[in-house]
Amino acid sequence: MTGVVFDIRELTVHDGPGIRTSVFLKGCPLRCQWCHNPEGMSPEPQLLRSAAGERLAGRVYTSEELAVILNRQAPLLRESGGVTFSGGEPLMQAQFVAEVIDRLDGLHIALDTSGFAPEKDFALVAGGCDFVLFDLKLMDADAHRRWTGVDNGPILRNLFVLDETKIPYVVRVPLVPSVTDTEENLRAIASAVSRLSAHPRVELVPYNRSAGGKYAACGLEWRPAFDESAPYNDNLMPFQELDVEASLA
Amino acid sequence: MTTLEAFTPLQELPARLTEMKRRIRAREHDRFRDTETIDVQSECDAQGLSWPRRAARLTRRMCEAQTAVIEPDERIVFTRTVRTVPAYYSPEEWASRTAGRTLHELGPISNICADWGMVLSQGLLARKEAALAARQRLDAETEAVEFLDCAAETIDAVLALAQRYAETARQMGRRDVAEILARVPAHPARTFHEALQSLRLCHAVLWLGGHYHCGLGRFDQYMWPYLKADLEAGRIDESEAEELLAEFFISLNKDSDLYPGIQQGDNGQSLMLGGVKRDGSDGVNPLTVMVLGVARAVALIDPKINLRVDRNISLDLLAVAAELTRIGLGFPQYANDEVVIPGLMAAGYELEDARDYTVAACWEFCIPGLGMEVVNIGAASMSAAVDKAVRAGLAASESFDAILKGVEADLRAQVNVLAEASRKLFLPPAPYYSVLMDGCLERGRDLSLGAKYNNFGIHGATSSNAADALAAVKTLVFDEKKVSPERLLRALETDFAEDEALRKELRENAPKVGNYDERADAFLVKLFDMFADACAAVGGNGRGGRYRPGSGSAMYYVWLARGHDGMREPAVGATADGRKAGEYFSSSLAPSPGVFVRGPFSVLQSFGRIDYRRVSNGGPLTMELSDSLFRGRDATRKVGTFVRAFVQSGCQQLQLNTLNVDTLRDAQIHPELHKNLVVRVWGWSGYFCELDKDYQDQIIGRHIYGSCSADATCQ
Repeated sequence: MTGVVFDIRELTVHDGPGIRTSVFLKGCPLRCQWCHNPEGMSPEPQLLRSAAGERLAGRVYTSEELAVILNRQAPLLRESGGVTFSGGEPLMQAQFVAEVIDRLDGLHIALDTSGFAPEKDFALVAGGCDFVLFDLKLMDADAHRRWTGVDNGPILRNLFVLDETKIPYVVRVPLVPSVTDTEENLRAIASAVSRLSAHPRVELVPYNRSAGGKYAACGLEWRPAFDESAPYNDNLMPFQELDVEASLA
Repeated sequence: MTTLEAFTPLQELPARLTEMKRRIRAREHDRFRDTETIDVQSECDAQGLSWPRRAARLTRRMCEAQTAVIEPDERIVFTRTVRTVPAYYSPEEWASRTAGRTLHELGPISNICADWGMVLSQGLLARKEAALAARQRLDAETEAVEFLDCAAETIDAVLALAQRYAETARQMGRRDVAEILARVPAHPARTFHEALQSLRLCHAVLWLGGHYHCGLGRFDQYMWPYLKADLEAGRIDESEAEELLAEFFISLNKDSDLYPGIQQGDNGQSLMLGGVKRDGSDGVNPLTVMVLGVARAVALIDPKINLRVDRNISLDLLAVAAELTRIGLGFPQYANDEVVIPGLMAAGYELEDARDYTVAACWEFCIPGLGMEVVNIGAASMSAAVDKAVRAGLAASESFDAILKGVEADLRAQVNVLAEASRKLFLPPAPYYSVLMDGCLERGRDLSLGAKYNNFGIHGATSSNAADALAAVKTLVFDEKKVSPERLLRALETDFAEDEALRKELRENAPKVGNYDERADAFLVKLFDMFADACAAVGGNGRGGRYRPGSGSAMYYVWLARGHDGMREPAVGATADGRKAGEYFSSSLAPSPGVFVRGPFSVLQSFGRIDYRRVSNGGPLTMELSDSLFRGRDATRKVGTFVRAFVQSGCQQLQLNTLNVDTLRDAQIHPELHKNLVVRVWGWSGYFCELDKDYQDQIIGRHIYGSCSADATCQ
């Protein structure tokens, strides 16, 4: 089958162990107000227009084509890192990703996900991975809906599914000023993570102040309802108090 | 292997050295320099001296003319006070004596590396004894006797200079400095401090005699025994050693504004770290780590740091090296032992010598003490060869194979021209450099007459654009027939003025080197094969050596684009890869500027396809990393892992530069705010604001990997 990919980047260093090639799958069910990859939202290929000219974001690949591209790098990636599926939300194209994974030749595979997907899709893809980067943004259900547009119920359920699989994973928390970085939210995340049996590590990811840069090119308006320039809170205390290993990414 | 944990890399310079560095960057020592040049020629003419004697006299008078300068806070001394190296022949005499001969660049021997290990361990008095012994043995050979007398004269001159410094030190009450100079460079160094002082003086005197691009060789190999002995005897501790080393490094930046080069910074003060020893065992030692740390703390453009790597190198060491990469000096440059050593052997080097390789000045491989090689005798312009063949082929409606044959013929013609000229090479006598090399004194033969290895190196410049041009012609004109020969020819002749659509087509829809795309890479490989064939076919260089093809570009990536008086080759106009006239080529090995590239892994894989066993002169794959790649706690280990991937890819040499384009742009507007901003240019690093704008712009236009500004991966 085919899938839509908006970027394949080599030498990514923040997307799993070692040095990696990351595949960015197009389409995301979330609408996080701080999203820095707006071209990853729509599932369709789209033309980006900026001062630098026009660029098509999103290319259709068959699972075989994509696997060939990735397998060609296998001699370098096998020893130094692997491949990460990111997005957008890769689980929106779960079947496609699973097919690509099946075709990969002995590579370490990581999944970078919001966790928002039907459980069977999550299990299908995560089951083929060696490592998962699992985003946890807001524990409060209302706040989650307000800031990301979706319910966090499926996300939390998938987190517990992941916890049972024995696949190594890390929980990643974006630090958005006064939205996700509040004492209350960080405490709630620490508390949830402390109850997980795999004792995953937590990575706090500072807010990217150039997040808004690509909105205009996507024909979208950048209108964050939070103060971008405010300093983010990276207090690790809530995690340390509960013996959760946490660090700034 | 000695444990690397023995040392933790130096984090910060001590206050004394921070001040010394500031002073040197501000060139406060300029006040010690004489404004008038000395006259050596009159004396030489009056005495009717021979060429070798004039060369020796020059070194002697330059040593004598130096004022001894010892700053109160200095522990390693020597400051050059005579600005210019005078001529020892009148311009007319020089012209008539060199008529019909080819001089390399300025003339004097440059771009090689002395056997510093030998010099430090023997001391100059032992070298003089070697000269005297040979003189007795060869007393019937007038040339040998004269050479050995000249060598002895230069040794005496250096020793007298050292004595003058020692005397000044005594008068200033600096017994520490006086004692060291009473010992070295006359006698074998006994301590790390003595070895550094000996090296500083012996190395600086080379420049006084008109030599330049004087390499420092395998520094951690020949210096470690002194440091090890000091540490074992408890004479110094780690931090004292680091302080001495840092001072030595700072001292190498004192006189560099007086050194000749294409741009400030292009001075060849390069040193090599790591790699295997002559017996094949691992040469990495604690000094390897110390040098990386100290170079980072010093953060000046000299010395230029190189690191030899192979698949067994420790990731800990690579992470320390990446700390140096992180600060953007463009150090270290990496050389892959697994590729370089077999390449040198294929070029006729003995195994033990091949294992002992260093870089001469930028990236060209040479063997310390054994190589009287001219590693940069010239450059073959691959883009010119391709461009001529493409235009001629299109005009004559020839087949693609005929175009390739045209490329081959042109490369051969270029190599022939270089060979013909360089076979007439004349190297002026170099009695002092001979003292520092292996076997010159013993044989009674000046270094300029040859050493164990006497090869010439030719750069293969602008290879990516050339390969891309062939790939574009093959794909769009011959295979897909989307572009007619007439249309392409007309566009090339008019610099795409009327056919921007075609330029875009060539630029965006033709295969490009750097994407691990067989359709383009095959031409990259083919160009280097043709170039290697041409170098093999041209035969000997008249000095017992051959022509070594390389993959570096030196300054030709700018010169060939813009034209330059200093080269024989004409500038290359618009090319079939969609490059307009005047646009820069890529430096050494890198994808063509501005083309789409998948990323660093594909680049490694593309350039890993070149058969470096036949292309052994050196020339780095040049990659720019965004400084944002270095965010995160494991960043340096990850960059180290990337260096391992480089080893695995089969590439030969890697130059990693860390850049922030916004900073560079700001530095063009506000140079006064960025005086200490360093960038790697080609085989050397320089202060960005001191570069000509051509070189600045070319750097800003390079591919930068791992950038976050417009990219998808960063959160």
